[in-house]
Amino acid sequence: MSHEEFIPLAERKHLREKQIKKHNIANILTHWFNAGAGALLVLTGLGILFSPRLGIVPDIWLEFVRNVFGGTANLITFHYTVGLIWMAVMTFNILVGFRKYFIPFARNRMMLDKDDIEWLKVKPLQMLGFVKDKPLPPQDAYNAGQKIYSYVVVVGALLIGFTGVIMTFHQLVPWPWLLQWALPVHFGAMGMIIAGWIIHVYMGAVFPEEKEAFFSMFTGKVSALYARLHHSKWYWRYVTEEAEWEDSVLEKGRQLQEEAAGAD
Amino acid sequence: MADKKRYGFVIDVERCIDCRACLVACRAENDVEIPYTRIWVRDLGLKGEFPELSRTYVPYNCMHCEEPPCVDVCTSGATYKDQETGLVLVDQDACIGCGFCVDACPYDARHLDKTRGVVDKCNACAQRVEMGRAPACVATCLGESRLFGDLNDPESDVSKALKEAKSVQRLVTEDVNPGPNIYYIHGDVMESGVLPREPRYTAAETFWRKLAIPAVAAGVGLSFLGQAAFFTKQLLEGEKEFEE
Amino acid sequence: MAFQGPNLTRREFFKVASASAGALAVSQFVPPRVAKAAMRSGILDADGDGYIPTMCEMCVWRCGVLAKVKDGRVVKLEGNPDHPHSKGRLCARGQSGLMTTYDPDRVLKPLIRVGPRGGGQFREASWDEALDLAAESMLQLKNQYGPEAMIFSSTHNLSQVQFENLLNAYGSPNYGTQRSLCFNAMVTAFSLTYGVEEPARDYDNVEFILLIGRNLLEAISTSETAALVEAVARGAKLVVLDPRFTKTAGKADEWIPIRPGTDSAFLLAMIQVIVSEELADCDFVKQYVVGCDGIIDAMSEFTPEWAEAKTGVPADTIRRIAREYAAAKHNALAHPGWRTSNFINSFQTERAIATLNALSGNVLTPGGCLIAENPEAAGVPLGKPPQPPYPRTTSLRLDGVPWRYPLVPLKLGIFQELRDAILSGEPYQAKGWFISRQNPVLSIPDRAKTIEAMSKMECIIDVDVIMNDTAWFADIVLPEASYLERYDPLMALEGKVFIRQPVIEPQGDARSALWIYKQLGERLGLGDFFQYEDEEDYLRQQLAPFWVDLEILKTRGYVEPDAQREEEPEITFNTPSGKIEVYCETLGNAGFSPWPTWEEPTAPGPNEFYLLTGKVGQHTQTATQNNLFLHQVEDKPRMWIHPKPAEARGIKNNDWVLVSSPIGQIEIQAFVTEGIRPDCVYMTVGYGHISKGLTTAYGHGSSDSDLHVTYTDPISGGQALSQTYVTVEKA
Repeated sequence: MSHEEFIPLAERKHLREKQIKKHNIANILTHWFNAGAGALLVLTGLGILFSPRLGIVPDIWLEFVRNVFGGTANLITFHYTVGLIWMAVMTFNILVGFRKYFIPFARNRMMLDKDDIEWLKVKPLQMLGFVKDKPLPPQDAYNAGQKIYSYVVVVGALLIGFTGVIMTFHQLVPWPWLLQWALPVHFGAMGMIIAGWIIHVYMGAVFPEEKEAFFSMFTGKVSALYARLHHSKWYWRYVTEEAEWEDSVLEKGRQLQEEAAGAD
Repeated sequence: MADKKRYGFVIDVERCIDCRACLVACRAENDVEIPYTRIWVRDLGLKGEFPELSRTYVPYNCMHCEEPPCVDVCTSGATYKDQETGLVLVDQDACIGCGFCVDACPYDARHLDKTRGVVDKCNACAQRVEMGRAPACVATCLGESRLFGDLNDPESDVSKALKEAKSVQRLVTEDVNPGPNIYYIHGDVMESGVLPREPRYTAAETFWRKLAIPAVAAGVGLSFLGQAAFFTKQLLEGEKEFEE
Repeated sequence: MAFQGPNLTRREFFKVASASAGALAVSQFVPPRVAKAAMRSGILDADGDGYIPTMCEMCVWRCGVLAKVKDGRVVKLEGNPDHPHSKGRLCARGQSGLMTTYDPDRVLKPLIRVGPRGGGQFREASWDEALDLAAESMLQLKNQYGPEAMIFSSTHNLSQVQFENLLNAYGSPNYGTQRSLCFNAMVTAFSLTYGVEEPARDYDNVEFILLIGRNLLEAISTSETAALVEAVARGAKLVVLDPRFTKTAGKADEWIPIRPGTDSAFLLAMIQVIVSEELADCDFVKQYVVGCDGIIDAMSEFTPEWAEAKTGVPADTIRRIAREYAAAKHNALAHPGWRTSNFINSFQTERAIATLNALSGNVLTPGGCLIAENPEAAGVPLGKPPQPPYPRTTSLRLDGVPWRYPLVPLKLGIFQELRDAILSGEPYQAKGWFISRQNPVLSIPDRAKTIEAMSKMECIIDVDVIMNDTAWFADIVLPEASYLERYDPLMALEGKVFIRQPVIEPQGDARSALWIYKQLGERLGLGDFFQYEDEEDYLRQQLAPFWVDLEILKTRGYVEPDAQREEEPEITFNTPSGKIEVYCETLGNAGFSPWPTWEEPTAPGPNEFYLLTGKVGQHTQTATQNNLFLHQVEDKPRMWIHPKPAEARGIKNNDWVLVSSPIGQIEIQAFVTEGIRPDCVYMTVGYGHISKGLTTAYGHGSSDSDLHVTYTDPISGGQALSQTYVTVEKA
């Protein structure tokens, strides 16, 4: 086990039951929207690649998907329509409330700090069975691995979006070479994301330690124990904020009481 | 009757007078944007010295090959060999304008129409053939040099012309023979100006095929294998190990 | 038997005129008149799509066309399989007809000049204003100077009959066709020899074809070009006399690069061989030819050895060809020619051709190659509207016919003489010019002179489709509808009557010539000569003798009236003697040689070249250079020159060269080629337009009319277009 901290059993039980909110509704919707759109895009996108010379996609899928959509033209139209909608939604997501929501989100959950770098050096070795006794540095709401994956997704999405737009509006592109290179770049970026996604799915949904993480993408909540063990920096910041909030509520109550007494 | 059709052209070289009616008819019939063209009449040039001179014209367009390199390389499958007619056709709604096929065609018979962003080429006026009419170029040819029909049907004009021809040639070389379905009779057309070249593949296509795809396959494969290994380990070690 | 009907009508009604600022006004497809009528008769379906039969006008051959209409636009033209001139096929020009109708440079509204002549400044006007002004000018001219001061010129076309009607009703004798630039030698020679203007050719059984020039594979007459290709493929022997290796020469069994101007020497020597060796069809000759007795003596000096010195062709070759020609008997064809205005002696060339054919007995003989009867009118006399007799014209014609040129047919005239008479003011000064479907500025030799002649005019009225060079200099431009947008009088051909009808609504304000001439006629007080309500009424009157409904004609494109036609017409010749007049007394009486004879042509000086001009299969004279479809398939206009003289002048392929003649100079790119005699240069006609109203054609290439010297053959009035000699040097 990689997370070393001794918590007494009673506290452990208590923490296991306490639920804290990790993902707000926007995060959840965005995640699943990406997942759904991504699935459609990957499946239809691969379905477009008919060339026997490329030979990547099995004929069964190529024929099936063309049957479903009634021809290559419709398939392509569907693919880029979903792509454009996905791009529009994501852009909207990021731009609306950019300062209020996206900036703090990026600061904590995307930027890498010293702990993250250390984690990146230690964790892979631990997974392979080495240096089991070395303590893992504390992580924020998303661990370094998740942060790296977010980069993969962002870079990949930008590349895919840019090349996708080029290919969608190919009538307006005056340079054939741009279109031609857009294809392998689009494909490569997709491949990169899928490779990362395989890890993301395993680590986020299948790996038992992270079971709570998987369910949190539906409920938005994780147990306090999980948070304290796996994402301690976020946990303690959350707890501190909660305590401060409780203090301020108590203080407010005392003030009100005093005022009420003074009024008598 | 139930045999597959193999539509193709027979060009009687002796009868072509380079009037170019076919070029104009094709443009009108198929709305081909100026300055592009789907078909050509290639002039092999004046041969000899005054006054012993000769000249040959070679009507030329997509050869509707049996093994078309363009179909092979088409990213989206927009270019295909039609099952019923054997013609090589382009579904321009499915064409993404990458232009790989333009380089791949050994006869340079395809072009990228920059105004529409899709690839265009001779489709043997499939819209006319469907209605039992000859392609526009064939219908208007003054010298009756252009013939068109089902090469698999022994009663067709083209089959009969081939049978009776004193000489028959196709534009192929030792190295390049995609099985063209234009036959040239009564003339010697085997000259470098019209003979095919090797199919070319652009840098992007080669990069994609040789680098990007293997890289992605490797990356995804490794990732999958890695996770599969962990999953196996997880199954073997049981979940209790991970209780917190 | 199938025969190639000649169209006695000729070129030049396809002129390019420019558009005013207006863009193309394509009519929306709301049920318009034309489409409604076509839908009623079933040739267009409920969506307005279908094929409407009509006739092409991209050259004089007038192939039958099936025009494909979709959503109110004509989208494709197909040859009409029922029409003898197309037989289902169209040449490049025929196929490009859409682009002429939809040419953005079309004139779609009447125009009245506002700036100086040739400045290209016009203002749009209503038809009423333009027609009133035109009629007013013409009447004023008539009152002041007499009707002869008004010149009417038009190149023969389907509406010619009404053009001539206007001219004759107005009372002017001055009728300018462009025939003398082309056909005169042939028509005059064959009229005098056979009594027929242009015999039709039949290639069904031909075994030996002799073409003197007649670049049939580039100067395309669709069905005849196809017939020639078929005949050659079938095994007929083709011999081509031409100083240049044309595409026709390229398909010949023998190409003879004869010295220009010496065709008649070659032919006379052939005749000499045939008559002296008694190879002619003696029965035919004895029965039908005048001069049978004296011909051997008359031809005695024209031996092949004599001809060799003149032509540069070996005597043995000439002798052999004569024998081969004769051996084919009535399946031999010496082609009458097409453009026969090459040298002053071209008239004699034509006489020799007529003689050669007579000797082989192929004229009017069953299975023979020449049909002397006029197949167009055969058995189909069309009706016409009633009209009063024409006023008598007493003044002399300006072109010297017949008072200076007694043998030139009146309906041909001498166009270049007409132009020169305008300049000289002799015998009187012409003051007005009414031009329809013709481009004299580019077609008459010596463009500068023609423009100068126009400056003498008080009033120039031009009827045309596009702002061509002539319209550019006009005072009033009246927009004719293109051939796909109008009715014209019916055309009779081989016992069938064909219709030209609109396949789309006329764009803008363009109207048919039938309408324009009637409108003008009425304003000139000549309404009685135009007794038809509208175009359809005119056509109905034409059909009146046959009890055929116009609607049927419109649906089918043609009708075959049950007219009387003799199956085997008697062999007669419309000459004074009723026979073929190889020996022609009429000529003798007029002071010319009664026998076909040799006239020594001039020759270029030591540093000079024969300037040859000719046609290409992708254009029609000066009319099509603005057509975008044809512009795409044309060869770049360059001057052909043989490598030896090119090298001597330091000229390489595509170099710019200066070409100078006695009357002008042009700059043009050179095309160095083995395919031409070293003493000749060649350029294609029709380029070098100066009208800025032609976006594509303006300034493209150079014009031969800037180089050609004006000549007139005293017998036929024909031009001598190859008799101009030029120097060439690197620019």
